[in-house]
Amino acid sequence: MHEGSITIRLPAEVREIERLNRLVRQFGELHEIPSRALYAVNLALDEVVTNVVLYGFETSAGQEVAVRVETTGDDLRSEVVDAGREFNPLNAPVPDLTVALEERALGGLGIHLARSLMDRVEYRRDGAKNVLTMRKRIR
Amino acid sequence: MQIKEDKQNDVMVLTVTEHLDSATASVFESRLLGLVERGERRIVVDCGSLDYVNSAGLKVFLLAAKRLEPLGGKLVLCALAPSVLMIFEMIGFTRIMKITASREDALRMLRGDGAAA
Repeated sequence: MHEGSITIRLPAEVREIERLNRLVRQFGELHEIPSRALYAVNLALDEVVTNVVLYGFETSAGQEVAVRVETTGDDLRSEVVDAGREFNPLNAPVPDLTVALEERALGGLGIHLARSLMDRVEYRRDGAKNVLTMRKRIR
Repeated sequence: MQIKEDKQNDVMVLTVTEHLDSATASVFESRLLGLVERGERRIVVDCGSLDYVNSAGLKVFLLAAKRLEPLGGKLVLCALAPSVLMIFEMIGFTRIMKITASREDALRMLRGDGAAA
């Protein structure tokens, strides 16, 4: 695996997520990130950014989400920054995974997946911005 | 994403390929729920060529299973890639959905069901 980083600025629109996913995969392949770690980071970023785009802004027109992915030795570190309403995904309710099919809720799956896929997730509010940092160990 | 339908006796097999994500989930949702509306009650989704699924896609499976259950129907998913199966496990879908290793197993499960009914 090679060290390096990529910064992607996306308009806050759902159709941009596909581009994000493609760029993250390309970055991963170019830097020879093992496929399991790349898959996890790709999916976690997809979920987090989709959530910001769908629920983060009063009106998303003209808004952006900035994503940075960096390989540092044994870690894959990603960061998502947006100027939307304050939201700490670590405080989001965890869906009850033990209930029967009819009682299973449709919401909350994306954030739960992102948290489960990553080894460490940290949130801070930096002025008017949400900053979410995620780490995935590669080895 | 591509979707193929293949009716085998009273079992409808839907094959979904490549990426099931925010861009494609709504198309998949109308196809799968459309089958239920048309009266299909035994549905297999063959995930053998599905590389990627996110929560938008996962919700469609959950919605279809929820809709079929009170109708006495069955949804069976088969041939999930290890990375996709890991996601299903992570959100507890392996507890509430029928998942088989192969399409043949899925068909056998639904046919066996028919014989017992």
